[in-house]
Formats: sequence, structure tokens, C-alpha cells
Amino acid sequence: MGTFLKIALKNLLKGPSTDKYPFGETFVPEKLRGKIKHDPEKCIACHMCEHVCAGGAIRLREAKDGSGADFVVWHNSCAFCGLCEHYCPTGAIHLTNDYHTAHLEKDKFSYVERTFVKYKPCSVCGQPFIPLIPQLEEVVYGEHGDKKGLSTMCEKCRRKAVWKDGVFK
Amino acid sequence: MSALKLVFNMLIFPGGLFAIMLGMLLMGVDRKLYARIQRRVGPPLYQPFIDLVKLLQKEILVPQTANYTVFRAAPLIGFIGMLAAAVMIPISGVYPGLDSSANLLVLLYLLATPALALMIGASASGSPYSAIGYSREMSITIAYEAPLLVVLMTVAMKVGMANGGFADFSLGHIISYQQQNGSMIFDITMLPALLAFLCCIPATIGTVPFDIPEAETELAEGPLLEYSGSGLAMYNLTGGLKMVIISALAVALFFPGTLGSFWLINLLWFVFKCLLVITLTITVVRATRARMRMDQALKFYLTVPVALALVSLVLTLLGVRI
Amino acid sequence: MGDLIKNIVKKSPWIYRINAGSCNGCDVEMATTALIPRYDVERLGCKYCGSPKHADIVLISGPITAVVKEKVLRVYDEIPDPKVVVAVGICPISGGVFRDSYAIEMPLDGYIPVDVNVPGCPPRPQAIIDGVAKAIEIWKTKL
Repeated sequence: MGTFLKIALKNLLKGPSTDKYPFGETFVPEKLRGKIKHDPEKCIACHMCEHVCAGGAIRLREAKDGSGADFVVWHNSCAFCGLCEHYCPTGAIHLTNDYHTAHLEKDKFSYVERTFVKYKPCSVCGQPFIPLIPQLEEVVYGEHGDKKGLSTMCEKCRRKAVWKDGVFK
Repeated sequence: MSALKLVFNMLIFPGGLFAIMLGMLLMGVDRKLYARIQRRVGPPLYQPFIDLVKLLQKEILVPQTANYTVFRAAPLIGFIGMLAAAVMIPISGVYPGLDSSANLLVLLYLLATPALALMIGASASGSPYSAIGYSREMSITIAYEAPLLVVLMTVAMKVGMANGGFADFSLGHIISYQQQNGSMIFDITMLPALLAFLCCIPATIGTVPFDIPEAETELAEGPLLEYSGSGLAMYNLTGGLKMVIISALAVALFFPGTLGSFWLINLLWFVFKCLLVITLTITVVRATRARMRMDQALKFYLTVPVALALVSLVLTLLGVRI
Repeated sequence: MGDLIKNIVKKSPWIYRINAGSCNGCDVEMATTALIPRYDVERLGCKYCGSPKHADIVLISGPITAVVKEKVLRVYDEIPDPKVVVAVGICPISGGVFRDSYAIEMPLDGYIPVDVNVPGCPPRPQAIIDGVAKAIEIWKTKL
């Protein structure tokens, strides 16, 4: 009984330890897993994030005219697990530390992050295709580099070029 | 003229408006202090008023298995009982109280009306949780009425024997005895009785460690389960009024001293004493204790406060003067 | 006059929690918003009440599984008007990670009208307080 009374008196003297939110700022850790952000410049549309997403929130579909791919992530089904960020080969998708997710019911289906991954035209035949980003060239071509400019050709032209003289000549 | 004065006393001061304001203030201070002890900020001091206004805006839902008339009328029993009791308690230096020869006994009966209202309301609800709630309420009422009765007998006998009779149950005489011979709190033979009375207060109000009928986590609010809207507001109001009545009774029986003769200062001194009683017996105990079981509560009440009160009773009967 | 009463009344919303088949992650976060001293929700006048008949704002977590659907609808009917429904976590909003399960038929707004959504698995306590503050604003318009 005595210890509890001492604790009560000490607590009265120390004052409240309440976080000031929503009347003030609160502490946000830097690596907090918050809402998704997608960078279409770095995306190579490999569909890896769509495959591993726990909540089934990511969807990549080719546009009807074939000029790019639509990338949609629905925040209302995202579990903030971070698997997409872990498995993305280029680092195009990452989680910010934005945790303000409360919204009204009428915005339910428009609470999305929507980007468009643009295809580039082939340097030989002009067909649009998914480009290879410079960060992955080193992984694919090693220290020799891309001598023949294969990363700017579509699959069919690339196959024809390699069939003639190989990859590095 | 005296009928008008009676109506004024019942509705404005010290019953009615004054008692409701004081009751809500005591409840607000209790909640704020409880939060501060736990290092939280807590609600503002006028929060019980806001709760009351909000509850009057909700709709009233009556369950199908309930007895409609009794269900709607039960909250009023406690409220009217407490209003009547507020007229009788004297505030020394401000209000003499309705003086008659058996004041204290009538007050004892009126103090049981809120518990009675809770029991009637709960049994009229027709739900199993309320049934368990009101049977527990009956048990705890039996437990705390015993030491209360012995304490009141002790004080009455002390005053009665000093005036040549046996027992004097009039509150006016008790206060005038204390104004002549010094308050009972300074008399060592009456201190056990004061302790026993203060032990009964948490069970009367219904807070931890004796809030067994209204155990929130066990019974989903017990007897008050089916009430919503104005019925619930009436029960909360009755709880606040009971806080006022029981602390005013403690002040009148044991330390009714005045500070001079101006009525405003005596009124503020009375409010301060009520706050002191409520803080020490309800808030501090609520923040540092856990809830007891039914058998532990009964065992506690029928041994410790009864023994303390009996010590005072025996010392008073023997005429010991220290 | 009505406006003054509405401004007074909105300072005392009472909260009731329903767990509709949840994994208890969101329930733990909802309990911490009220009880621990750090994110005190009693400053806004809220109080967790034990009976649905005393409640104003109801927080529902968990996907509405087939076993618990009837009971949630019955408890929802017991709450007196005016009331506001807040769906906490991604499970009641869209099914969450259990979306294609055999036990889930529709998300929560197929059964009862929902007012505020707070996605997250589980959402941060500050986000839940945000949701409760938005719900209080909606409740004021319904009074």
C-alpha cells in the first residue's frame, strides 16, 4: 500500500507524459513503413511486386494502345509489409513514412497511387517495348558494357543482332 | 411562506440545482485527478456536464423482454430520494436543515434508494447480464450497510448520553453538540468510527475496489446494460448526487466546523471539505487498488469496519473520556 | 441555439469496439489509444464504454467472417441513433490479406453504412486518433 501511494505522489509531481498529437507534433521514425510511392522512371514492369504483394493491392496492366503499362496500388488493401520494396530489382517502389491514412468513405475507391510506365521505341524497328534501365545494364552485361547497343532494341531485333555476331562483338 | 421555502430548498439550494452542480464538480475533479495520477492529461473539469447534455440527445431503446413502465420509471426513484435527502443535511453556518427528532434514521433509509433504483431497473430489463448485476448489488448493499448502521448508532449515542438521554438521532443536535464541545474528529475515541465510515464510501458510490456490480470487463456494465439516453443520464446524475450526500454526511457527523460567520466563506469551506473527503476515499483508492472479488469484499466489510465501529461504540457506552 | 448545443455535445463521444473476426492486431492498437498515458484519447472527451447502448462511435475491426456476421449485425442494431461507424484496418474495408478466402462474402460496407476508413495493418495509434477526430466531425452533422 505504501509503495503505491509513493508512486501516485511522484506521478502527480512529474506531470503528464502525453504525446501532443493531435494538438501538436509527434515523433515519426525515419524508417516507418507508410504509404507506397512508385517511380515510373525506374520501373521495368517485371510484375515481381504484384506477385509477392500480401494484400493483392498492386496491379500492372498493359495499356490498350501498347504504349505503356498502368501501375495502380490501392492503399485500402496494402498491409505495409514491405515485400514489394524488398523484391523489386530496381528500387522503383518504396515505402515512405507517411502514416496519415484516415479518409472518408466516399473517397474509398479513389484512394490510390497511379503511375504510368512509358515504353520506349526500338532503335531498329520502332516498336515500343519496356526499356532496360541503366542500373541493370551492369548486372546483365558485366564490365564489358553494352557494346552493340542491345538495350535500345526490342526483343525481336535483339535476337537477330545476337544471332549474327554474339553479344559483345 | 414555509412551503415556498421548502420548495426553494428542495429545488435550488441545497437540493436540486446546487446539489447537481456540486455533484458534477466532484465527479469532474475525481476523473481529472485520477488521470493525473496516471500521468495522463485527462478530460476538462466540466466533462460530466457535457456527458449529461449529450445523453439527453440519444434515442431510448427498450428491449423486448423488459417491463416497459417499470423500466422507464426506475431511474426516478433514486433521483427523488437523493433530492429529498439533500434537503435534510445541514450545512453548518449556512443552512440549518430540516430539524426533527429522527433525522438520521430517515437519512439512512433515503441513502438506500439509489441502490434500490438500480436493482429495480436492472431486474426490469430482462437481460441475463443485468440479472447477475443486480444480485451482486444486493449482496454488496448488505455488506456495507452493517458498519454504516453501527457508526450512526455510535455518534447518536455519544450525543444522547452527553445530554442525559440514550441516543439522539437529530442532526441539528449533533451539530450543536459539536459546536459546544469541539468536533468529533478531535476526539480520539471517535476516530475508529470515522475510519469505518470512510471505508464504506467506495462501496456506496460504486468505484474500485468495490465496484463489483458494475464490473465493466466482466459484465458489460452490469445493471446499467440496457439503459440509454435519458435513463442513463438520470443514473449518472444520481451517482453524482450520492457523492454529495455521503460526503456532506461525513462532514456533518464528524467535522462541521465553521470559519467565521459570513455565509459565503462557510459555503466554500464546506465545498472544500467535501472535495477532501472524495479525493482521499475515492480517487486515491481508485488509482492504487484493484477490484476485489465478491467473497473478499463481504469478508472485508463484515470484519474490519464493523470491528472499528464496535470499538468506538463500546468506548462510548462505557463513558470513557480521553 | 441548436448550434450551441451541437458544439457542446460533440465534446463527449463514447466509443465501443466490435471485433468481427479480427486477428487482434487492430484491437491492440485501439486499446492503446485510450488506455496508455502516451496517446490519451480522454482529452477529447472520449470514453470506452462496456455496453453498445451507451455508444456513439463504433470502431469495427476484422473481416466480416461468415460465423460472426449475424452477431455483428445484431450488436450494430442495438446502438442508439445518431451513430458513426469507423472501419479500422484494411480487413473491414476490402478484406485485406484475406480477400479471396472462403469465409468472407462482402466487405463491411455491403452490410452497414460506413463513414470513415482507417487503412493500415495495423494503423498507427495517431492515425486512429485522426480517424476518431474525423468521425466526431461527421457525428456533429448527424445530431
